[in-house]
Amino acid sequence: MQLKTSLLLAFVLALLALVSWEVYLRSQGRVPDLSDDKNLWARERAKVDQLGREDVILTGSSRVLFDVQIYEWEKLTGRQPLQLASPGSSPLPIFRDLVRNTDFTGTIVVGVTEGLFFSTTFPEARPWSRPQTKVDHYRDRTYAQRLNFALSLPFQNNLALVSINEEEWSDDTNLKALLGRIQIGNRTGEEPFPPFNNFACADNNRNTRMSARTVNDTAFAGPVQRVWLAVGRSRRDPEKEATMAYFLEDAQKFKARGGNLILVRCPSSGMLAAGEAMGFPREAFWDELVSQSGARAYHYKDYDALSHFECPEWSHLSGPDADVFTREWVSILQQDNALITAKAQ
Amino acid sequence: MLFNSLGFLVFFALVLAYYYTPVFSWISKKRMLLLTSYLFYGLWNPPLILLLWISTMVDWITGNKLAVEQNQRRRNLWLALSMVVNLGFLAFFKYGNFLLENFVWLAGLAGWEYQPRPMDIILPMGISFYTFQTMSYTIDLYRRKIEPARTFLDFALYVTFFPQLVAGPIVRAHDLISQFYEQKKATVNQFIWGAFLLTLGLFEKVVLADTLLSGTSDDVFSAGKPLHILDAWTGTLAFAGQIFFDFAGYSSCAIGIAMMLGITLGDNFLYPYGSIGFSEFWRRWHISLSSWLKDYLYIPLGGNRFGPSRMYIALMLTMLLGGLWHGAAWTFVAWGFLHGIYLVIERLLKRYVKVDINWWNGALLALFTFFLVNLTWVFFRAEDFASAGIMLQSMLYWHPEGAKILGHFDIIKVLTISALLFASHYYMRHHTLMMLAKNIHPWILGVVWASMLFLMAIAQSAGEQFIYFQF
Repeated sequence: MQLKTSLLLAFVLALLALVSWEVYLRSQGRVPDLSDDKNLWARERAKVDQLGREDVILTGSSRVLFDVQIYEWEKLTGRQPLQLASPGSSPLPIFRDLVRNTDFTGTIVVGVTEGLFFSTTFPEARPWSRPQTKVDHYRDRTYAQRLNFALSLPFQNNLALVSINEEEWSDDTNLKALLGRIQIGNRTGEEPFPPFNNFACADNNRNTRMSARTVNDTAFAGPVQRVWLAVGRSRRDPEKEATMAYFLEDAQKFKARGGNLILVRCPSSGMLAAGEAMGFPREAFWDELVSQSGARAYHYKDYDALSHFECPEWSHLSGPDADVFTREWVSILQQDNALITAKAQ
Repeated sequence: MLFNSLGFLVFFALVLAYYYTPVFSWISKKRMLLLTSYLFYGLWNPPLILLLWISTMVDWITGNKLAVEQNQRRRNLWLALSMVVNLGFLAFFKYGNFLLENFVWLAGLAGWEYQPRPMDIILPMGISFYTFQTMSYTIDLYRRKIEPARTFLDFALYVTFFPQLVAGPIVRAHDLISQFYEQKKATVNQFIWGAFLLTLGLFEKVVLADTLLSGTSDDVFSAGKPLHILDAWTGTLAFAGQIFFDFAGYSSCAIGIAMMLGITLGDNFLYPYGSIGFSEFWRRWHISLSSWLKDYLYIPLGGNRFGPSRMYIALMLTMLLGGLWHGAAWTFVAWGFLHGIYLVIERLLKRYVKVDINWWNGALLALFTFFLVNLTWVFFRAEDFASAGIMLQSMLYWHPEGAKILGHFDIIKVLTISALLFASHYYMRHHTLMMLAKNIHPWILGVVWASMLFLMAIAQSAGEQFIYFQF
């Protein structure tokens, strides 16, 4: 056997193939992208123990993730908030983790997207299992997993071909996603789910911005809008009483130890906003939540400075708009003395 | 630590760098292998290294006593100590919850509504493997079949050697410990062939098992409703492929890694889906476990020394316990029971029916064996008997109106892989990978190797655990 020849050839061919694949992907507009997964979330969660009373933790679903830009916040307040929001998730499991498993007494912002916040307390339901997986991973992650994650960061940040996302976007370029795009006929008879293409870009601190393509290319944003409509159609009846009771128990506990709780409703637009207004009337959901929790609350519609935005795919703000939204909202928070500052203490 | 992770690549590169640095003595290299093996295990859950240490200490002490003790009663007691400690760990950590559940069920039958607190026991990774490995050392010493390890370092390394620590192959003392006595160094060809086996194993795991088959298998087995026959068979075939590629992939990695260190581990899988009959299947599937069960369970139970009836009982008991070894659930026992029944029927048939096997009828018999093996996988994969029942009914076309949940492409993909898997295993019954590699042009081997590397790189494993870790 001439194994040396085979090894050399294998190495050269594999390297050539990978370089060609990387060049091809970049020619198609792909850029290196960090996967906002449970590993990255757990690394941020681990920072909670170092936070002080003046610090802020952001929780909620994807709207808080996209719309609150942590670097803009830092410019205005001098402190960078910790981003722990989780896309497609009920905020309740993460809020409970922060209340029950830490002694944090600073500010926790809870983003309220009614379709997720009031969705369920059933552990197997996706809006619940998804954030709970992150919480569990933070608690259970092994040293090997931490090492693997740390080693993967340079590859994720520098190679477009590294494309493995927890979200399992339709336009991912890993082998499973490529094969998943092959459709031959429609054997199951089910209406195919619209393609859910990646419209996010996260960095090492989980600061997330909408991709420029989503803002500028309506053909790209269109399928994402159809995903929101499909999700809305398949949504089950909200479990208002159960979710509210679950949250209020933790909210009281957090406030009782001196914590500062802030609720925020970020903008939505188009047919999605209309559907949300119909499915979750403000007075029955948001107003009642605010009233029962006794928390400071900010609904984008209540402020001129926050209500003029148009979401490119109906649910999240573009990067530049998110900057403006963050600045305006932080200014409002400061005017209201809603944040804990050294001076206030 | 998983072989299919970036962390392992760095870890192994550092191990190789130290191992092949000429200035270090063989003893220092063995110490390094032992320490890195503990690191390999401890990066998962450091406190559970204690179990490894206890198991190692107990069998080292009992082994040394058995080597010199002449009094039979005392010899029995030393052996019993090893059995109690090792099987005790296994019973508590692996079967504690299972035993409790069954106790509660039996108590309920007797009219006692007993509700214990859940025990929340962590299953230490690979406990079934290293426990069986250390026990074989002590039992072989008890039987005076082997000499004790020369040094504690050699013995501890035998128990802990990282390539095969968490999922085998389960190596016998006489095959491995003696390899640690003299300095080992892979030849260039051994090193490269080991790297090829490592690549092949990772390809089987990352691309074939996790990327191409696991999703289909998961979809079908989590459906929870009667399925169309095509979906049910596709899901079962997907699992048959997944578990083979997952486990054989791990074994290939382990053998390849050891070979790169100049250490030889025996084969663990020899193209099992090409087997004609179940005796042959168990000579090809998880060879290190089936030979362990034969030597330490089937033969002590009487084997074939006391007539056919006793042999069938020994066979059934061995397979039932072999099933239970795989998991603490009655579905695994059912899986072992079915294999036991197949083996009994096959032996009965062989007594009365003589068949001259040629290529064609051999292929048909192998296909029939593969069909029957797939029926057993249903019990292995299903969460409970109700799910297994629905799946078997669907596979036997009891639900003509069963749900179609898989797309055409999924079905074509799985059936193509399954056909290739069966055909390649049948062809390879009388060949080895090494023979095949020798007979092809080195450029073809290079292209195949490069293709595997490229596909692995774009498959991008999320670090899925190997299925057999849970056993």
